[in-house]
Amino acid sequence: MGSYASMFSSTRMMTSHGEERRAYWAFVLPAFLIYLFVMAFPTIFAIFLSLTNYKGGALFGPKRRPVSIVGFQYYKQMFADKYFWLALKNNLWIVVISVFGQIPLGFFMAYLIFRGMIRGKDFFQTVIYLPCVISTVVIGRLWKAITAPNGVLPDIIRLFNPSYVAGNSEHPMIAVLLVILWMYTGTYLIIFLANLQKIDTSVIEAAKIDGATEMQALRYIILPALSGVIVTSAILAISGSLKSFDLIFVMTSGGPAKQTYVLSIYMYDTAFKGAPNYPLANAVSIVMCIISFALIGITKAVEKKFGGRE
Amino acid sequence: MSYIRDDVSAKRKIGMVLTYAVLILFTILAVAPLLWLAINSFKTSQDYQMNRLGFPRRFFWQNYVQAWQRGHFGIYIINSIIYTAVTTIAILVLSFMSGFAFSKINNRNTKWIYGSYVIGILMTLQSIMIPLFIVINQVGLYDTKLGVLIPYIGIGLPMGIYLSTEFMKSIPNALVESARLDGARYFMIFRSIMVPMAAPVGTTLAILQISGTWNEFMLINMLTSSMKNKSLPVGIQSFAGSLSTDYGKLFASLMIGLIPMLIFYIVFRKEITKGVSAGAVKG
Repeated sequence: MGSYASMFSSTRMMTSHGEERRAYWAFVLPAFLIYLFVMAFPTIFAIFLSLTNYKGGALFGPKRRPVSIVGFQYYKQMFADKYFWLALKNNLWIVVISVFGQIPLGFFMAYLIFRGMIRGKDFFQTVIYLPCVISTVVIGRLWKAITAPNGVLPDIIRLFNPSYVAGNSEHPMIAVLLVILWMYTGTYLIIFLANLQKIDTSVIEAAKIDGATEMQALRYIILPALSGVIVTSAILAISGSLKSFDLIFVMTSGGPAKQTYVLSIYMYDTAFKGAPNYPLANAVSIVMCIISFALIGITKAVEKKFGGRE
Repeated sequence: MSYIRDDVSAKRKIGMVLTYAVLILFTILAVAPLLWLAINSFKTSQDYQMNRLGFPRRFFWQNYVQAWQRGHFGIYIINSIIYTAVTTIAILVLSFMSGFAFSKINNRNTKWIYGSYVIGILMTLQSIMIPLFIVINQVGLYDTKLGVLIPYIGIGLPMGIYLSTEFMKSIPNALVESARLDGARYFMIFRSIMVPMAAPVGTTLAILQISGTWNEFMLINMLTSSMKNKSLPVGIQSFAGSLSTDYGKLFASLMIGLIPMLIFYIVFRKEITKGVSAGAVKG
């Protein structure tokens, strides 16, 4: 009787394990296959394509064109191209405006709202974040019209300086950077405000009763409490700079004279402007992937050190 | 004593006024360009050229009518709704399924599969746009709705699966185990226990996904070429490109692009800002 029961239970366990495994894969596989097809495969495929001379046409099937491996030829071409370096430099400018513009400004506003015990906190937060939720195409086209030589910005400058003559700017990247500052600062306001509100205000009040000035409270209580968030935000801003495409594509398309190129636009133009140079575009893609993965590694290390963001 | 207190409260008042002044200044800077856009969308092009800073001489509603007709925005909005709805629903279903399996069914593969999604959250999409374009092209999906939807779903999955899995981990295992002992199959448990209980994370996910998909431009601009497959942002970009100096209609078309998202934001602003502060937005 006893052995019968154990036999029964063991067969039941076995079918249950089989069912468990089948159920697991039935739930996991559909999503995972799509994910592999859309994100993992293109990444690996890009490594292959960057080492070949593939410049378009069918890769598979009866009409396929022969493709040969040419090694690092296109990487050499890329590193020899001054526009690659210009694009990289502009990406770095975006990092600079994010880290030294958006983050301090976002922090400053969040701090004012937090310490000022302002009424209408939600109002300020909602309105300042607004540019971020609107389609980048709308924002880019709007700013293109505002900053055009016959746009409204020259009109405004003329209010203060009547002799101003609108022409093409010598540094077209400045306009792009200012729009980026305008558009994304709200993100950091929200991140900092949410984290400031986790600080126990009674600690600050106690310090002030003991004679601490506002600056001391900021220096010794508030900033240390936010150090993890500030570091993560900085990394977010660095990796975010690699993501800039839409705004610049719509606002300047990388022009005039490629002066506002960033890596993604450089890559897009090599692939789609004139004769497609896919190997070069894929080489750029690999460089961006390497930067991106390096940043992921740094983020993980920092999160470990500061104990995460949540 | 009272003299000192007056001094402190006067200082505090000045501080308050300054704080409000600075914040109001920033608020004005944030909305002024958008208000300017709204005002100028009612000007005729001549009116705009003569007077770029002021109010319109008369409100020229025709800009909207003409932009709507000539820009084919009816088709684009329907396409955008299709892309957004299908992507969001697919991501919700697939994320819940994966989240359920990762959090409630033991399997030694969970570690690396789930880990690969976590990497996917942080990955820069821009870096794979060209290879993705080539892949979509090679499998014959260029300029089809499916060729847009599959990448959209694949890109949204990492964040969706991450949020669902983390949420479902907090649902007690005992619920699943007792249902199993009662002989319930996994699909039943998924449908009648997990999905209803994961509704809150589903809402967050849906809101983030809707705004992300609705505004997406880079991929769909690259993956489609015909009017029947373009979305609203791509439609605006190509309509704006076809106008050279007709600013009235340009601004009206930008307003057509702005209004749906503005309404969505006003309704769901709490959930959206919560998502941003949790770092759940892939900007």
